Order: sequence, then structure tokens, then C-alpha cells
Amino acid sequence: MTQTTSQGGIRVAGDTNVGKVRTTNEDSMIVDPIRGLYVVLDGMGGANAGDVASQTARDAIRDYVIHNRTTMEPKALLEAAFMHGSATVFGKAQASREHHGMGTTVVGCLVLDPTRAVIAHVGDSRAYLLRNGRIQMLTRDHTIVEELVDRGLLTPDEAERHPHKNVLSRNLGAKPDAKVDVSEIELKPGDRLMLCSDGLYGYASVEAIQYLLGSGDAPEHVARDLIDLALRGGGGDNVTTIVIEAPQPPQSSTQVVRTSGAIAWWQRRDRFLEIAKDRGLPKNPICRGLAPDEALDLIATSLCQAIFHDLEKSTGVNVWTFAQNIAGGWFERSGEWAPLRALMDILATAARAVVDEIGVKDANLGFLLSVAVSRALVVAELAIGGLLAARLDCVDSELIQFHAQQHDRTYSQPTLEPTTGDTGDTGVDNPELAESGERFVDNPTVPFLRADRPITSPGVNAELIAAIEKTITIARARTSHKAELVKQILAVLESIAIDATGTFASAVLAAREIYGVRPVDDTGVMPLFDAFDQARIIIAASVHQITAPDALRAKVLRALSGAHQRLVGATTGLVLEAVAPYSVRLRQAQAKTSQMRDQVASAERKRAELERKFASTIDQSQPWETRGNTEW
Amino acid sequence: MFLAMSTAALARAYDELRPRVLERLLDMRATLDPSLGRLDEATARGQMNAVLEHLGNFLATGDLGSHRAFLQTFIAMRAAEAQGPASVLAMMVAIGETAAQVVQEQLAGTPDGSELTLLLTRVTSSTARAVNDIVAEELERRLAEWHVVAKGGS
Repeated sequence: MTQTTSQGGIRVAGDTNVGKVRTTNEDSMIVDPIRGLYVVLDGMGGANAGDVASQTARDAIRDYVIHNRTTMEPKALLEAAFMHGSATVFGKAQASREHHGMGTTVVGCLVLDPTRAVIAHVGDSRAYLLRNGRIQMLTRDHTIVEELVDRGLLTPDEAERHPHKNVLSRNLGAKPDAKVDVSEIELKPGDRLMLCSDGLYGYASVEAIQYLLGSGDAPEHVARDLIDLALRGGGGDNVTTIVIEAPQPPQSSTQVVRTSGAIAWWQRRDRFLEIAKDRGLPKNPICRGLAPDEALDLIATSLCQAIFHDLEKSTGVNVWTFAQNIAGGWFERSGEWAPLRALMDILATAARAVVDEIGVKDANLGFLLSVAVSRALVVAELAIGGLLAARLDCVDSELIQFHAQQHDRTYSQPTLEPTTGDTGDTGVDNPELAESGERFVDNPTVPFLRADRPITSPGVNAELIAAIEKTITIARARTSHKAELVKQILAVLESIAIDATGTFASAVLAAREIYGVRPVDDTGVMPLFDAFDQARIIIAASVHQITAPDALRAKVLRALSGAHQRLVGATTGLVLEAVAPYSVRLRQAQAKTSQMRDQVASAERKRAELERKFASTIDQSQPWETRGNTEW
Repeated sequence: MFLAMSTAALARAYDELRPRVLERLLDMRATLDPSLGRLDEATARGQMNAVLEHLGNFLATGDLGSHRAFLQTFIAMRAAEAQGPASVLAMMVAIGETAAQVVQEQLAGTPDGSELTLLLTRVTSSTARAVNDIVAEELERRLAEWHVVAKGGS
């Protein structure tokens, strides 16, 4: 579905698609040129609640803007409209069990006039601005991982691979009010704003989005092409995008020259093919199996056309696509780098030769084309660079897996097998402990893990034990059947709470049993601590459901809270023991890194000095192209 | 296309505009590279200035050997900040394009402006080519390692 419209010279188009995996589209959008209101919403929640949430918020936001736009200042209006949307979704979720927990992300734009707009968002739907061919993100995702990056606790690369990277820290509908980020931006002629759901940027690279957005095509074509891009990237989610284009400036003399440049380039296409042929393009291994004319037609003519179309529209999307197709196809055939580099060099040389010939007849046009062709070659390198980086990532991942497997084999030798009664080898990730043949859980070193440590307990009696058992029975019944870990923790808490020995022993033993062979990372430890937290919440709710005097309920709560604290404390001790060897190595690596950076900085200073000296020795009467060992 | 002016003169013109290029880059540093966006201004200024200073030297000398060596170090340093080669490539291209844009704005209509813009565009093209060559060589080394490990592991 595409919606297109215009508002005072501003052109707008929106498009949405269910994607290739989902069966329903939980995204919604508003394209309202009369009020200058453009919004993308991405609903979430079980069953059909996601689309209900996004549609409910959409209607509430639109109604609020319609009724209040003449009385409120624009930033306050958009913020209040989003808060009203959140309250409406929250109210609907509270009123119906099937909608409980639903919510939606939102990003919106209120265009005030062709030079100003207000942007607001909640969640991970985004707004981008394309200015002078470069894209920049105007919003910052409200996700837990992004907040950790902001606090410096995660690097962007770690964030990208983080298992919880999509967990939102804010949305509309979770609470009656919502914290909205609002800003006002100045629009310049030809600027393009783009609003989108995560179904776009999750399945398409920013570079590809930039080139489509900067293609010069009409907004409706760009919106449709962006959707196609996400679908080609897998289409794993609903995808929605709105493209808003500020009025174009009047055509400048540069544009007139640009058109002449495109025509001049196209008129010289036979010369381009001739030079490419002379330079040996048909003999390149990439063209193996093709007749010479066929190779020229498929490769050289394609690039020639791509440059022509990009010159016409002042974009790079055609050259980008050309380079990606050539390099992608070659890499898929396990092709090596050298032939691809040689092919690109042949094409670059032919292009520069043609431009030089044009420059001899018309210097101004020659300069313009020379800059444009150099930029086209940069675009081609960017497209190839993206593929190279993806391949490098892929090979790295496989190498890490290989090394991990090798590591597992090394530390799983018979001499290192756990002793009788052990259920796993927790020393696998810890070479130092594996070498000693001991599991860290068998070798307690943290003082508060001492099993004979006394605890302060008011003692237990039959009445309290019966009440604790009833509470845990209710708590287990309230726990989802899939939450096995929470159920296990509840059972352990019961045994710790009714333990009459008055020592820390039961908590230490239980912690070792639950901790098992868990790795000390986000996928191993975090779910365990999440389960501890859930168990605590469920117990606090269940204790009020037993039939008992208030004083007894209080004792039950105290006993189970104490048990919970001891269990979490003992587990934390195990985690500390597990990470201790790594902490030492991390500190050593940090010290080494710091030392190496100092050396690099020093070397850079020396190199800069040498380069300056070298520059002063160069014969300036020689053309630049003939100096040094450049490829020009 | 041959340049009419000496590259020493063009490098001097570039040096004069370097503070403006630096200011523009600092304004947009978060979009160039998220890790630069989190640095304080003085540190980011130092890092960007080092890149711009090197580009100035490369404009003057055209020495691809030292340019390549600089890029190798730069890619390694950005990798230490968890930025992959694709983002380094995008960053270097963005720096080159920004420099050319500032030159076009400040020296519009002058012969210096046209020639310096052209030279900066060529430098950017050469930089992108060199970054990809470096990454491709690294990829081939790792693929060779992959073959050794895979053979040993089977």
C-alpha cells in the first residue's frame, strides 16, 4: 500500500508491507498532508495485540493533533499527542485480558512549513535525514542495549551482537504516560526525511538506504524501493517507511552542466568500451566463458549505463548496484581478490581516459566529469568494501568456532574428567582451573561461601513450615509451565527456608546445583538472575493468597526473603570465583593495549615528520600524477 | 586530467581550510563513527586532526606507500575500538567528501577550488581502493588460516 501526497511543495509518500515471515502487519502509519503529520508505528504484543496497539495509538495521536493543533505549540503538541496515545493503549490493555501487555513504538514528524519540522519518537522506530547526499540518524533507539552503550558498558560492536539488542526500554502503552524525545529541525531545499520501522533498517544496510534515498527518484518510488530492499534482505519483519522531501531548489547552472556531462559521457560510450577491451577486460578471469563482445556488453556497458544514470540524477545507486552484483557474484563463486581488483582497475582507467578526452575539448565539463567519475569509483569501492567486511566477519566467526572446538577437545581429556557425581565440566572455559583438574565450584575460595557460616534465623516450627509449603505450592501454580528454572528456584527456596540447621550450607549446596555448568556471560548468567527476580516477585504475590493470620504471613515472607538472599549471595560468590582468572588477564591485556597505543601514536608523529621532509624534497615542476608511486 | 597548479600550492590551500573541515567533521562525528561520537571534544579533535594532517601530506606527496601504511594502522586502531573495516571505509570516504564539500563552499568559482576539489576526490577514491586492498589481503590470510584449521580439525 503506497500513500502519496504533497503539501506546499513538500512531496511525501509512505509504504508498508507485511514482510516475508509474519502473517499480520502490526505496523501502522499516518500520512496527513493537511496537518503536516507523518507517523510510523510498530506494534507489539501476543496474538493480535500488536496491530491493535499500533492502530489504537495511531487513531489517538491523529485525533489529538486534529483537536489541539491550533492551541498548542508544535513540540508540545506532538509530545502530548504521543502521551495521549500511550494512555489510550494502556487503558485498552488494562480493560481486556487478551490485549494485556500490548504496546507500540512510534516515530513522528510534524512539518510546520517547508523549512521547519518537529521530530518525536519512543522506542526503536527511527527518523533519518538525507542532506547533500549524506544520511544521518535523527533519533536514538530506546533499547536497553543502547543505554548500556551510552553508559560505556558495551561497545557498538558488542551491542550489535547482543542477544537482547531489540529489548526496548520505552514504548507507548506500557505505562499511562510515556517519556517522549522531541526535537525541532531546520529543513533545507532538497532535504529528505525518512521515518521507518525496524523492519527496514534491520534488513538493509545504512549505505544502501542512503543511496536509495539519495537516488533523486520521486518519494513514492523511493518508499517502494526501500520496502523492496528490506524484502530482498530477508523481510523478516513488517516494514513501513515514509519519505518526506523538502521543496527542491531551482535548477542551478551546475545541474544544467551535470545533464550536459551525462550526455557527453554517454556519447563517448564506444570509446569507453574500446579502451576497456584494449586493457584486456575480456581476458579477465571473471569474464571466463563469455565471448569478448558479451563480456564487454555485460560488464563495461553496464557500468557505463550506471554512471550515466547516476550522473543524470546526481546519485550513486546504479554504480553501487553494479559493483555489488559483480563482486557478490564473483565471491559466491569463491573468486579471489586479484581478478576483481584488476577488473575494477581496467574500468577505472577506461573511465578516466574518456573523461580526460572530454576535458581536452571542454575543460569545465572535464573537471565536472572527472569529479563525478571519481565519486562513482568511490561508490563502487564502498559497495565492494561492504561485501569484503561481511566475508571477513563470516570467516572470523567460523575460525572462532573452530578454535573453541579445539579448546573444548584440549580441556576434555580423560585426566580432566569430573569426579564421580559431577554432571558437567565447568572448567572448560577456564584453562587454569581445567589444568588443575578441579571445578571451581568444588574449590570455594570466597569467604562468605563457607558452608558452616551461621545465619541469623528466628527458627522454624510446624506452623511456619506448613505456611511456607502452601505459599510455594501457590507460587508454582502461578508460574508458567515453560519457566522450569523459576520452578526449580522456588523448590530450592522452600528447602532453604525450612532448613533448621542454622547455617549457610543449604544455600551453598543449592546454588552449586542451580549454577551447574552455566557460562559466565549474558546468555548463561543473566537468565539465572532474571529467574531469581521472577521467583521473588511470584513469592511476594503468592504469600497474600494463603489462608493465615497476618503475623504468620509476615514470618513466611521473612523466611522466604532470607532464603532468597542467601541463595542469590551464594550464586554471586560462584560467579565471582568463575570470573576471577579472567579479570587478571583482562587487566593485563588493558595495560598492554594502552602501551601499544602510545607506541602507535609515537610512530604516527615520526611518520608525519618524515612525510613533511619528503614533501619538501619533491620536484614541484613535475605533474602530480607522475610523482611517488600512486596509481594515477 | 592533469592539474594546472602545483600540488604544493593546493596542499597549502587545503591547510588553510583544514580548521573549517575539522569543525564540520567534529559537528558530524557521531554519524561518522559512533565511538568518535562518545569521545570528548578534545580527544575527537586530536584524532580527526591526525587524519586531516595525513591527508594534507598525501595531497602534497602522492606517496601511496605511506598512505597505505597510515591506513593499515588506522584500520587496526579502529578495530581496537570495535569498528569493523566497513565503518572505517565509510568514515574515510565521509572525511574526504566533507573536505571536498568545504572546499567547494569556501573556494567556489576559483581555479584553486576546482582543482583542490578534484584532487581531494581522487584522494578519496585512492583511499577507498587502498582500504579494500588491505581488507582483502587480511581476508585472504584468514581464509588460508581457515583452510589449515579446517583440515586439522577434520
